[in-house]
Amino acid sequence: MMPLERFLIEFLLNFLTRGELNALLRSPQNTATLIGCLIAISGALLGVFLLLRGMSLTSDAISHTVLLGIVVAFLLMTKVFGVAGDTSSPWLILGASLAGVGTVLLTEMLYRSGLVRQDAALGLAFPLLFAIAVILVSRFVDDVHLDEDAVLVGEIGLAWANSNSHCFEHCETVTVTEDHPAAKMTRQCLNCRALGISPRDRRAEFIEVCGNCGDYSPARAWSAGLLEREPALVFFPKSIAVTSIMTLLTLAFVLVFYKELKLSTFDPALAMALGFRPGLMHYALMILVSLVAVGAFDAVGSILVIAFFIIPPAAAYLLTDRLALMLLLSPLIGAAGAYFGYDLARGQLFGFIPIAEGIAAVNRLFGLALIEAWDSSISASMVLMIFILFTLAWVLSPRYGLISTLIRRAIRRRLFEDQVVLAHIHNHQHTAQAATELRVATLHAHFRWTPRKMGRVLARLRALGFISIVAGGALLTERGDGHVHRFRKTMLEAHNMPGVD
Amino acid sequence: MEHPDRPALSIDDLTVAYQEKPAIWDIDLDVPEGVLMAIVGPNGAGKSTLIKAALNLIPRAAGSVSFSGLPYERARSLVAYVPQRGSVDWDFPTSVLDVVTMGLYGKLGWFRRPGPSERELALGALEQVGLADFAERQISQLSGGQQQRTFLARALVQDAQIYFMDEPFAAVDAVTENAIVNILRQLNQRGKTVLVVHHDLQTVAEYFDWVTLLNVEVIAAGPTSEVFTLENLQKTYGGRVSYLHGGQLMTASAP
Repeated sequence: MMPLERFLIEFLLNFLTRGELNALLRSPQNTATLIGCLIAISGALLGVFLLLRGMSLTSDAISHTVLLGIVVAFLLMTKVFGVAGDTSSPWLILGASLAGVGTVLLTEMLYRSGLVRQDAALGLAFPLLFAIAVILVSRFVDDVHLDEDAVLVGEIGLAWANSNSHCFEHCETVTVTEDHPAAKMTRQCLNCRALGISPRDRRAEFIEVCGNCGDYSPARAWSAGLLEREPALVFFPKSIAVTSIMTLLTLAFVLVFYKELKLSTFDPALAMALGFRPGLMHYALMILVSLVAVGAFDAVGSILVIAFFIIPPAAAYLLTDRLALMLLLSPLIGAAGAYFGYDLARGQLFGFIPIAEGIAAVNRLFGLALIEAWDSSISASMVLMIFILFTLAWVLSPRYGLISTLIRRAIRRRLFEDQVVLAHIHNHQHTAQAATELRVATLHAHFRWTPRKMGRVLARLRALGFISIVAGGALLTERGDGHVHRFRKTMLEAHNMPGVD
Repeated sequence: MEHPDRPALSIDDLTVAYQEKPAIWDIDLDVPEGVLMAIVGPNGAGKSTLIKAALNLIPRAAGSVSFSGLPYERARSLVAYVPQRGSVDWDFPTSVLDVVTMGLYGKLGWFRRPGPSERELALGALEQVGLADFAERQISQLSGGQQQRTFLARALVQDAQIYFMDEPFAAVDAVTENAIVNILRQLNQRGKTVLVVHHDLQTVAEYFDWVTLLNVEVIAAGPTSEVFTLENLQKTYGGRVSYLHGGQLMTASAP
């Protein structure tokens, strides 16, 4: 990751001074928003395919079981190979993606046994793997931040602080040895604990130990006061590089395999018959979901990850019926949710409506004493904001939204009422029963409608010029006659499609 | 056409089992080139299984299948498959034209995207099935019969030699049934081999010149005039069978 970060920084330094870049990167807001957006974009892209494959809950399962991969890889690294573990190390990411694929494999194995249903198989597999992970964490891992809080909601707000330092000028590394002037020597009792004696005891033996010896990177050396000239440093949050790579990988995967993904999602049997490997696509997708889930795990915890995968595509699904457009809208919605979600956590709805003032207004209005300050979990606020965007799509979508559906239904109902009355008049006018069947005063009774409803429909039809009332009976005008015929024709066409010769 | 003696489809000793229970058992079947063949049998007879196993879509327990003498891996471009309508999600966000274009993905291979010439081919196939006006429609807006014709168009663009169709006549209206029969006959006239899983015994003799009666095992296979007899049907269906033939009610009972 380090060379990549350095490359990025050098690129950015073409446009910004070092001070500006540091200010940018060491702002919790910028880092959290950027990471949130990157996770939302990669999750929302993959989520489109998960949603369409009916695998929404798989992302939830994987986001939990990646913990097992992380823990096992961490234990292997620290206990077996003796290297320092770090949650952004490639080995942990590899372990996590293996665990993700393992979850899918285990689920499919249980399902294929024919003894459990598919949803139950998922419900069996992932708690098992997650439970093993939790036991391993509590039994063997005690010095890492794999704690409950991190698992629950992540620490996206602190992502800025976990950074790599990159030095560009005056880069002196310092090695402090025992004879270095800055070395801090302390006396340590060698046998106090073994003999159970106090260091004041005459039998106590001592050695001199150096408390701060070791190699100092320029950044550490400067902060420890070992350097005279300040090195030119840039602090780059570790999560940014990891999540950027995942986003790029996801983007490349979806762009390159767009056709293959579409086919194997819509009709896996045809994909297989044509020689594309839907199984391969399936597992590639699962590996990517696992990778993104690891990045997301660090930032937003394992429980909320599913929201980044599923809510944006669910919203996009309501807004379009073309896959390509859905793949464009879904990450946009996710990124907007992450961006405004940070504002929401800091008490700003959509960046300009201050929540505190809203609460204050409620307090004034009802004489309440609610706490006005608003400062809440960033990850939860991001999820809430993505959901708010989903709700907007659900209510307002021009084609599939709640409002447009209600309007369309109302229009159709009115149209239908009109046509029923017109057809009745059409069938009975100029017949012997016309006088009884078409008498306006009793017309409602034939339909079992209320007189009010019939009055409304007749008024509408007269206003449209479809009928005229002659001597208390309804008659079609020429226009109304044409309207009836047009309606019959379109209805016939809707049922009978053009034939084939 | 180059090997008139070589059957379009040759199945040898094919067995498929689900959970140790045989779905199809020791199938030997040669389908000559250029026939329009119905696969007929009761529910659970393994008709769909036979097609899927022939196309390597499900694992075989034993046996081999060849297409004009070639194994399936080398004969993909010779084969087109029309699955059952219910096998896909019709709420998928895509257009009718796009679904038909999918039939050309096999020729395009990995990575290459469909372009204007693929669009032309797909539109031509939609024209053939009478859905040209529906090209840009969202597929969820189609009726059942239109969905079936969309699938048929998708198979037509593949320009294959042998067509497998899994119950194309299931729950479609008379207009669509006529449209499909016309297409089958056109394919037949162009020398293609067509295999159709079929349920309606009434129409077998009218639509098909070749028939395979299947009930886990092949009961009989051959020209419809020879094979499609009451005796064979009774063996296939096991119990009482009746159907209309030439306006006459034919009935056979188990002995």
